[in-house]
Amino acid sequence: MIVRSNKGSAVRQFCSTKLRLYWICLALSVPLTFMLSGLLAGCKARHAGVIAFIPRTTGMSLWEAAHAGAEAAAASAHLSTYWNAPTREDDINSQIALVNRVIDAGYSGLILSPDQPLALITPVRRGLAKGIPTVILGSPLAMPPGGKLSYILNDENEAGSLAAMRIGELLHGKGTIAIVGINFDIIGVVDRVRSFEAVLSRRFPGITIAEKRTGSFNIPYEQQATEELLMVHHNLDAIVAVTADATRGSYAALDELHRLHRVRLIGFDQDLIQPIETGDLDSVVIEDTYDMGYRAVELLSDQIHGKAVPALIKVSPRLVTKSNLASPEIQRILALDSEWNR
Amino acid sequence: MITRHFSKSGLIILAFGLAIAAAVSGICWVIYLHYPQYRLPYHDGFAANIADEWKAFGGTWSIVDGTMQNDSDERGAKLMAGSTHWEDYVLSGDVKLLGTDGDAGFIVRSSNEEKGVDSYSGYYAGLRTRDNRLVLGRAMYDWKEGQSVAIPGGMRAFQWYHLQIVAFGCTIVVSAAPTSTPGSFTAVSLSDKNCIRSGRIGLRSYSSGGAWKDVRVRVATEDDLRDALVRVPAHRDSSGLKSKTDLPYFGSGSRPSTTNLPLPAPASSVQAISSLSLAAPQTRVTVRGVVILTKPLYVQDSTGGVAVNGKSLAPVKIGEEVQVTGNVLPGYYSTHLQNSTVNALWSHTPVPPVSITSAQAASGAFDSMFIELEGSLRHKTPAPDNSLVLDLESDQQPFQAIVNLRRGDHLLQDVEQNSTVRLRGICVSDPQYTHQRFPFVLLMRSADDLEVLSGPPWWNTRHVVLLSAVSFILILVAHYMQNRVEHWRWRTILEERENLAHEIHDTLAQSFAGLGFQLEAIRDRVPADIPVVHEQLDLACDLVRRSHQEARRSIVALRRDSDTGMDLLTTLERCARKMVDRCGVVVSAIQSGNVRVLPAALSDALFRIGQEAIANSVRHAQPTRISIAINYNDSDVQLTVEDNGIGFEIGHESAGFGLQGIQRRTRVISGVAQITSSPGAGTRVTVTAPVPRSRRWFEWPFTLWQTYWRYRSYAQARKQMYSGPDRG
Repeated sequence: MIVRSNKGSAVRQFCSTKLRLYWICLALSVPLTFMLSGLLAGCKARHAGVIAFIPRTTGMSLWEAAHAGAEAAAASAHLSTYWNAPTREDDINSQIALVNRVIDAGYSGLILSPDQPLALITPVRRGLAKGIPTVILGSPLAMPPGGKLSYILNDENEAGSLAAMRIGELLHGKGTIAIVGINFDIIGVVDRVRSFEAVLSRRFPGITIAEKRTGSFNIPYEQQATEELLMVHHNLDAIVAVTADATRGSYAALDELHRLHRVRLIGFDQDLIQPIETGDLDSVVIEDTYDMGYRAVELLSDQIHGKAVPALIKVSPRLVTKSNLASPEIQRILALDSEWNR
Repeated sequence: MITRHFSKSGLIILAFGLAIAAAVSGICWVIYLHYPQYRLPYHDGFAANIADEWKAFGGTWSIVDGTMQNDSDERGAKLMAGSTHWEDYVLSGDVKLLGTDGDAGFIVRSSNEEKGVDSYSGYYAGLRTRDNRLVLGRAMYDWKEGQSVAIPGGMRAFQWYHLQIVAFGCTIVVSAAPTSTPGSFTAVSLSDKNCIRSGRIGLRSYSSGGAWKDVRVRVATEDDLRDALVRVPAHRDSSGLKSKTDLPYFGSGSRPSTTNLPLPAPASSVQAISSLSLAAPQTRVTVRGVVILTKPLYVQDSTGGVAVNGKSLAPVKIGEEVQVTGNVLPGYYSTHLQNSTVNALWSHTPVPPVSITSAQAASGAFDSMFIELEGSLRHKTPAPDNSLVLDLESDQQPFQAIVNLRRGDHLLQDVEQNSTVRLRGICVSDPQYTHQRFPFVLLMRSADDLEVLSGPPWWNTRHVVLLSAVSFILILVAHYMQNRVEHWRWRTILEERENLAHEIHDTLAQSFAGLGFQLEAIRDRVPADIPVVHEQLDLACDLVRRSHQEARRSIVALRRDSDTGMDLLTTLERCARKMVDRCGVVVSAIQSGNVRVLPAALSDALFRIGQEAIANSVRHAQPTRISIAINYNDSDVQLTVEDNGIGFEIGHESAGFGLQGIQRRTRVISGVAQITSSPGAGTRVTVTAPVPRSRRWFEWPFTLWQTYWRYRSYAQARKQMYSGPDRG
């Protein structure tokens, strides 16, 4: 009897509970939907354990070596990498947009080779403010390292010195040279030119610099510039091309004007290497970008795990000549493991 | 009960069934989208100027004369289409390089594309001019060149080649042949152990730009693979390939180790473009600059831009450095070079746009220059030559942007009016374009030059209408839910009454019956010579009988479950017949008017009133006839219960709850109760109650409006009441 009596009450309770539940569900559904969608969006946006690597551009041996180094280090540190860059080294806007996108996507770290030392300061600072550890690779920004910002740079003083010593050796301390491809958008290039000039004037005062030309990231333009230079200065003994594009342009110009063996060419940054074997190109000062990429990921991994990291690392460049081209050390830097099933 | 349960279960089953059907449909649709042969075979001849499904990642893509063209020299520009779930397929199409330096071809099995040189996961097969080779490799945001083979006779720019790519399992086979000599094909293949098994198709060029036509995709079979491999001289497994034996390639268009680009001789006297406005008309001049637009041709140097006209201009691409010689035609703002000849110097020098305001653009200082500015889109108007004119405004400065649609139909049709957009294009003040209605017009290179920064404000007409519709639907749903809840509440009450009736039947009524039997048994055994006891026992038996009858009436009153589904009159009649059972009272029932289903609350209240009236009649009036009548009028319903009993004098009735209950229930339903009686003349109870008119769906806003005004009036009245003149 009591049970039957309670049945009615239970039904009423059920109905009132159902009613209450209905309104509660209705009231909660809207914020819950928003929260859920926000959560899903957040989950999608996060890229924990992924390091974004944005070089100046991709599809160039200089930067693909850094990519290979970063991949190797990431595999050891159980991390992965996102690799992309503008299609041109002077496309600053695209690089800024890419950096901003990476920051918003919540990557665990950022490795950046800036296309311009000033314009990239703001996005990098924004990333640092969001707690993203950042490594600037190759050439510095116009801001000091520290905190979560580290620099892994090519030792441009040594690079300039290597080139100067090589010129001095080639010309036996006497002659006329020109410097082409000076690109003020890359601080490292400016530094290597200044170092080169300083060492040259100190060690080989008998060598004069006939002309210095600014450069761009355009090989035909560099070729044109060198051809004009050669037409003006008939007595040039050597050309120092301080970027990879300038090296290619100068090489093409010398080849075009059949002066490859009369004017010695010293290049910078690995891109054009093969003519060293034939002697058409004397030497190239190369950056160990593989090591830079490897160290950058290691450094970020340490930062992620809360370890102290150095603010600045300088990586020594190498001078590649016909005599050391086949050496294991040079081959390590130049030859990349691009096997299919890595 | 059965009917009710059935309808509830039916609704649940129906809802459940609909949900399952929706879920199954969704799953089927997803499965269909993931089907490896989704939309296969596929063919795009670009003939109808429609290429909705193609998505660009870099480059300046447009349809020209039935071909898809990328006029830019951007490295790794891509245009993608198809499904990421396409697996084994054969892609064929024609490709032409628009420059002598670079490569162009097709991407297969691609996914995860972004703007960038090798920013995709897939395979690329292309024709490369730099080393005259057919290349095949894999990109996963880097480039691994699998195989390449020299093209006999070398590669020629501006010549059509037919490419066929068979992707079957982990083997990719590519064959290429000039369309002029289809038999002289070159083929290359690779087998990739950890292959990419599915993906979209794409068109891709590196530095050279390119044109593509007649792109076809169909499902591949093993026979296709076998036939394709026959063409490959020595197919070898590429899974063990390492680049250490050769110099590595970086990017499909990576430069070979020896490059020698013949350059045209520099002109002896090159003028700055800005100086042309000072030159005498028809002076023959030479300028050097970068191509910023090809059709019509505009060239820009660091000082300004100029429009170049000529009868047979050499084909050039956006971003190429060119040397132009022509006759000056100076204007107020725009300068033209007529009868021009154009020599391409070198490529890959694209000019970035100058970001300016519309006021700066309107000054004419940036005429014929590549600019970028923001504006609000006002109108879109189709124009002749398959172009679209966008009317925009920025800082109260109206201007127009003209884009050749080609593949921009789809891209631009989604841009809503009043959206804030960023545009890139050539700023032109030439009256030929402005028609002297605007200070400048923007000539966009392609539809990709428009970027939507933000959509129109949410309070636009469309959104307001949408919001109103959604609100209206929500109100209807809420109303429906309220009705359902009310229904549940009433059902709960009825069920509780039913339970109570059962309780009374099983306890009180049975006890009264047993008590009556026991008293009668005692009375039978008591000697007849004790009349006082007999009288008391008779009285007790009578009381018990009356109580039993009351209990039965209560049970009848409370039990309405058996009446569910009946109309009000039948229910009342049945109730009356139960009450007068074996009392010799004649019950009659009649209804008239527009008989219809009454709202539950009204029906229940009338039932209770009628029941009370019948019960009062049976209890007190000793009638021989009770008549029940219900009259349905348009706006009200009238219930009459009449008997021919002893009646009573109005005002001298006992202070029972019966009549008071009738009055109270009548007030609840906003009705009027009329009780007519006199001693010996019977009693008539008449209740008239308004019937709420059922609202139609379109009347709800009006009802809400009425409710709002009612509350507003009420609030104003209260306000006036509490803030009367004595307070002021």
